[in-house]
Amino acid sequence: MAPQQIVALYNDLQRAFNTQPANLQLCGTLLSKLKIGLIETGLLLPHGDARLEDLVMARDILEIGAFWSIRTKDVPSFDRYFSQLQSFYVDYSSVLPPSKREYPIRGLNLIRLLTQNRIADFHTTLESLPLPADAIGDNPYLRHPVNLERWLMEGSYSKVWNAREEAPTEEYKFFVDSLMGTIRNEIASCEEAAYDSLPLKDAATLLFFTTQSELLRFAEARGWKINLAESSISFSRTSEEKIEIPKEKLIAASLAYARELEQIV
Amino acid sequence: MADIDMKPADESKDKKDEAKKEEPKPEPPTPVQEIKTNIVLIERAVSTLEPRFTHRVLRSLTSLRKKIDNKVLRDAIEAAYPKGWLQLYKSLLSWVPAAAPSDDAMDVEPTTNSKTGTPEPVPEADIYFRLLILHHLLSSPSTYAKAVELAQQTVEKMQALNRRSMDPIASKIWFAVERAYELGGELADARPLFLAAQRTASLRHDDETQASLINRLLRSYLHYSLYDQADKLISKTTFPVSAANSQHARYHYFLGRIKAVQLNYSEAHINLQQAIRRAPPPKTAPGFYQAVHKLFVIVELLMGDIPERGLFRHVVLQKALNAYFELVKAVRTGSLSQFQSTLSKHAAQFEADKTYTLIVRLRQNVIKTGIRRLSLSYSRISLRDICVKLHLDSEEDAEYIVGKAIRDGVIEGRIIHEKGWMECGNQKSGYGPEVSDAFSRRIGYCLELHNESVKAMRYPLNAHRKELAAAEVVREREKHIAKGIEDGDIDDDDMGGDF
Repeated sequence: MAPQQIVALYNDLQRAFNTQPANLQLCGTLLSKLKIGLIETGLLLPHGDARLEDLVMARDILEIGAFWSIRTKDVPSFDRYFSQLQSFYVDYSSVLPPSKREYPIRGLNLIRLLTQNRIADFHTTLESLPLPADAIGDNPYLRHPVNLERWLMEGSYSKVWNAREEAPTEEYKFFVDSLMGTIRNEIASCEEAAYDSLPLKDAATLLFFTTQSELLRFAEARGWKINLAESSISFSRTSEEKIEIPKEKLIAASLAYARELEQIV
Repeated sequence: MADIDMKPADESKDKKDEAKKEEPKPEPPTPVQEIKTNIVLIERAVSTLEPRFTHRVLRSLTSLRKKIDNKVLRDAIEAAYPKGWLQLYKSLLSWVPAAAPSDDAMDVEPTTNSKTGTPEPVPEADIYFRLLILHHLLSSPSTYAKAVELAQQTVEKMQALNRRSMDPIASKIWFAVERAYELGGELADARPLFLAAQRTASLRHDDETQASLINRLLRSYLHYSLYDQADKLISKTTFPVSAANSQHARYHYFLGRIKAVQLNYSEAHINLQQAIRRAPPPKTAPGFYQAVHKLFVIVELLMGDIPERGLFRHVVLQKALNAYFELVKAVRTGSLSQFQSTLSKHAAQFEADKTYTLIVRLRQNVIKTGIRRLSLSYSRISLRDICVKLHLDSEEDAEYIVGKAIRDGVIEGRIIHEKGWMECGNQKSGYGPEVSDAFSRRIGYCLELHNESVKAMRYPLNAHRKELAAAEVVREREKHIAKGIEDGDIDDDDMGGDF
């Protein structure tokens, strides 16, 4: 594919992506053609000295691809685009002019890690951001996932719930639903441990359910006992585990010490 | 440890004494003499294939580094290379900035000629000189560029020579190379160089260079916060067990850092503890000691432990860890407001120490500690009071947070939703299977330490000959006794024999 062709396709892609609402299907076909083009010109994973305009174009294409994957709800594809973008963001950061889409995409990646409950990866990624740590709070795209993580960790679930409308860009909302699912399960496991019984109405508020039928379905899935007459949920207590002396372990340890001591003497 | 064969032993003992004369005031050897003895040691190391001598030379590097200047280097090089090795001599000398010639040089001259014959200078000596020059160039900012140049040339030369007896020196060279690149401002540029060298070193089973290079690489990655790459490097390489203690300490520190970022605090704790144990004494390497402890304190806090108070009174640590001490106090009392104010007050320092993001994670620990304190002191407390005491934003939050704390096992208790309070159950007593677990962990550590030290003992070569001879005597004796028994005339003396 000749470079001119790529440029033409790129312009098409931009037009298709920027119209409201964007033509996602067209974007998809254009993207797969462009990717082949990028591979042929060696721009997908650039090495050496490529022309600056070409690099910027390749980065733009990949960024659109990342947004497109979120809009079409294709997370693995987002993952791929993001790792391809990494080399533009990290290795060419000194050459290329900064992209205004960089931080939204990095933020999206953080949220993705959060929804998949990959907290360790989340922190590793956060740590490797090319920003001083206190500047993260000033960046709206990064502040959102960082706050979410903090609230999740300390247990301020209502704050997470309230923050779901404050997403900095449209794409963030895609992750909200799966995040809510994660939160509900977290809350549910907390309730099982912390309450003996709960009135249905309060349980619904705690779990952010608006209708009772939703709650009943959820309760059934988790195996809670529902007492409709008293309209309350009781949680089957996990029976107090008896403290047993781990005999075999102790014996094994003592034997090991005896053996070691024998070696020393 | 006594030296092995007698003749060199006497000599080397003298040498050792000479080198050790750094402390006694009366007549310390001039740096030039020190370098000279070092060169002799290196030559012996090469001829006897015994890396121990080289290690001894390198041990004096730190103290020597502070004493060298242009003139010392010049004199030492002149002394080490007699006529006939003009080319090497000139190439080395060209790196040393010219020093004003003085008469002092003459004093040293006579002693240098005492060398027997005209020995061929070993390449290791050449590299050793380059190491000294590198360190010297790195001591002043004006010569950084020159240092990078020399570093590149030295690496090329080292790789061209490919001698196993050079490995210990090479590992030090790599350290100097890294410093050169770092001070020259392009640490990232050295990475491909390190990676290639690491590959070669691991193929040649050159443990020391490998250890040094793995640390160089890790440092370079962490400098640019590339934790992913660093983690991959660790999973793909094995750190040589036989590496020097200081390299081990560094490696454990880097590991601890990475593990802490990945939220694997217990693992990080073990690594940092190892780093502290293996580190050189705090007085000689205060920087490392402080850096490790900063991270160590944070990791301990993240694990929910409170570091010992005595730690912050340590002479070396007291000043450096002041900010961290305030942090510990805030976490210990479980006061969010104090925590926040400490965090913002020392933000710049935490940022510089690269611990800021780790400290931010402590917020939840502060809350947990606060809840635990409340649960210990109250048998029943309303959510509203919890909210006020812990400076939480709303009662709703408080309910979720307490619920999570109960689930995570931080406290034993129940929430009574209808009445809006928390009832705290009685705490478990301190005795249980955990106690024996803790003991077995400590005993395990002691046993391992013992076994490691047994393994680390060195035995002089050929010493078993003597024992063999002794065994021979004993056998003779036994034969004799056996014969005696057979003959039936056994003496009391024989019975009391010392076998």
